[in-house]
Amino acid sequence: MPYKDIAKELIILLGFAVIAAFSVNYFSPNGIALFGQWDTSQGVITAKPKNDPVAESFEIKDANTAKEIYDTGKAVFVDARSYEAFVDGHIENAVSIPANQFFEFIDHFKTKYPFTIPVITYCSGRECNDSHELAQYLIGEGYANVKVFIDGYQRWKRKGYPVEQ
Amino acid sequence: MATRDGKEKAILLNNNLKILFYSNWIELFIRWLIGITFIYASYHKIVAPAYFAKIIYGYYLFPECIINLIAIILPYLELLSGIALILGIYPRSALLILEAMLFVFIVALSINLIRGYNFDCGCFSSGERGYGYSVLGLLVRDVIYFILGLQSLFYNKHRKWCILQSGSILKTI
Repeated sequence: MPYKDIAKELIILLGFAVIAAFSVNYFSPNGIALFGQWDTSQGVITAKPKNDPVAESFEIKDANTAKEIYDTGKAVFVDARSYEAFVDGHIENAVSIPANQFFEFIDHFKTKYPFTIPVITYCSGRECNDSHELAQYLIGEGYANVKVFIDGYQRWKRKGYPVEQ
Repeated sequence: MATRDGKEKAILLNNNLKILFYSNWIELFIRWLIGITFIYASYHKIVAPAYFAKIIYGYYLFPECIINLIAIILPYLELLSGIALILGIYPRSALLILEAMLFVFIVALSINLIRGYNFDCGCFSSGERGYGYSVLGLLVRDVIYFILGLQSLFYNKHRKWCILQSGSILKTI
């Protein structure tokens, strides 16, 4: 068996691949950190890319806090999931702005809600960062008070909090 | 008489299989097929490593500390091994890398198929970036590529259109 020849070839091929991988990752705007955040007990999972929309400072990490804000009636809850998922079920009185269709929905939203209103975005849970993307878009549009309810719709529903279809 | 016919047919089939197995055109076709497939497969992963990392996470099989490292390195292994196969640069080792990767994919997909897991984060990212395949479909595809790759891996004659000949997994030429 030509172990030595194969080992030499593998070292060359693997070496080039590893060098290329880390070099491109370092310089690419889409590059990610060497270690991500993959523990849902710590928050929303993310590979920590350079343009990471996940910002911990915006996060509401438990459903009870979100419910307290909901009960004040002063904040608008915005659903970042697909419109189909929203129709299937959503937090009562929430508004749909699918994160990937933001620019189709935002004009209507702006006519209804002033920039000063507290906005709570959510999606399906901690394995989803669409709510963070939506929060970044809304901040970019001028909404100053935006938070992300990271446990999302599934947790809200399991808690027995108000939902509607 | 019937037994002799059966034996002749078996010998004929065996000879035809040998011709296929030792054909350098078949070897070239398989090498290019696998090479092009992996170059194409690496594209989505290279342009969106964060989404690829999430797909790796979705297998629920890998330690958290290596998910990003896999997402960074694996696409370039696919790309460079694919290019090496097409150009014929150390084809047996490039195939060895890709066959090992296919083997890991097959094991990972099989485990999730048995467990009944099909990662769905409920988010837009994974469905829109070319990862929207069924687990069973991916498994069948990978098994076919793995079996085809064995022909090229064990091919121990002079390969067509190679910049750097390397022989087979069993013999250097």
